[in-house]
Amino acid sequence: MPNAFGLIDPNDPELRDEQAVALATLIGGSGGGSGKKIGAKMIVGRSGRIIGGVTIGGCVDAQVVEAADALMTDGGAGQRLLSISLDDDEAFEIGLTCGGTLDVLLTRVIPSSESDPTVAAHRRALELLEAGEAAVIVTPLDAPAETQTLPASEIPDAGTDSRVFLDRVAPPLTLVIVGAGQIAMTLTRLARELDMRTVVVDGRDRYATAARFPDAGEIRVGMPSEIVAELAPGKNAAVVLVAHDYKYELPVLRQVLRSPVGYIGLLGSRKRGAAVRDLLAAEGFTANELARVHTPIGLDLGGKRPEEVALSILAEVVAVRNGKRP
Amino acid sequence: MSAVRAVVLEHFRHPRNRGRLDGADASVEGANPLCGDRVRVELRAEQGTIADARFTADACALCVASASLLTERVRGMRLDAVSSVDERWLFASLEGEPPAPRRKCATLPLDTLRRAAASLHPSAQ
Repeated sequence: MPNAFGLIDPNDPELRDEQAVALATLIGGSGGGSGKKIGAKMIVGRSGRIIGGVTIGGCVDAQVVEAADALMTDGGAGQRLLSISLDDDEAFEIGLTCGGTLDVLLTRVIPSSESDPTVAAHRRALELLEAGEAAVIVTPLDAPAETQTLPASEIPDAGTDSRVFLDRVAPPLTLVIVGAGQIAMTLTRLARELDMRTVVVDGRDRYATAARFPDAGEIRVGMPSEIVAELAPGKNAAVVLVAHDYKYELPVLRQVLRSPVGYIGLLGSRKRGAAVRDLLAAEGFTANELARVHTPIGLDLGGKRPEEVALSILAEVVAVRNGKRP
Repeated sequence: MSAVRAVVLEHFRHPRNRGRLDGADASVEGANPLCGDRVRVELRAEQGTIADARFTADACALCVASASLLTERVRGMRLDAVSSVDERWLFASLEGEPPAPRRKCATLPLDTLRRAAASLHPSAQ
């Protein structure tokens, strides 16, 4: 994708040379056929380029690509709603195990045109995301030229008479990694693939270096607890303590246990985790607050190598974010 | 349990003077670059005397205990007398000299305190 959100960025080299593209957005569906979340996007370029996807692939995807090609070459209206409905037998014929419905909004876009409403709306959304703010792209299904982006905080609760698709895009999860060791190095590499923003925090400038962390979004050296306090990680952030050293763990936990941060994980054995919890309990932290700490950190994948531990940590962060783990 | 550990644990669990010092006249940070101990010593001076001393630390128990003991010691002390607080005093207060690899943990707050005091009074170093 040109960016983690599937939005059209005219400055992206992949889109710069496209005279026109069709943006396909999954706006509704049920059953098999998609396998993607509402809001999933695919960009089909006039050159034949395909970026992203709105279905799991196969023949259903092919129908979307064909419709996108047609939208770009036929002229006429710049927007079309493609509804695909398959019963179980039809689905089986094209390689799916069950049927379902799929609603895909197709919009013709001129990436180089600043006045194109989709380009303008996506540019505004990217600006808001860059500023750390969630955005909602409001697309009237009967009046595509009126597509616009609003900060998520400004979407009115009141209903509307016209049919609109509200596409909420949120900033990527921020992964605050305390401790600049080997596991941290792998974490930044894997987190990048997951479109997470990473901040590596350590008190040692010989460890927390750009050479060791080429994939990190940010590297901060100083008093770790103060840096984390300054970062003020919220619901859309995870703090992972991988220093394996209480000198950072205790002060950082004091900062985050009463914060709204979405995930807190502590590297170490059950025994070690219990010892850290006991020290904090003696300082007045409640059982509920201490229960927020995932320790031993990560899903139990049975691995011991730094890469395997990092994978298990990110697996747990993703599971918690998706509501699959407490 | 060794004698060193007893006093260290007491000051680690119940550190004296931990936290930021509002209106500090001196604020100096020190670090052990490999083990990662970080400590900040802050002083407020009145008429050549240390009116208040506090510390912040993301550090091991020995380092925290050392900072706790040192800030207790220098409160009310004249700035030009800070140089009399030395390793000998510190190790005696810790009820024993730490093993060689851990001496730096104990002496980091001392070095940082001296630099903070020296920024207010050159003879304090």
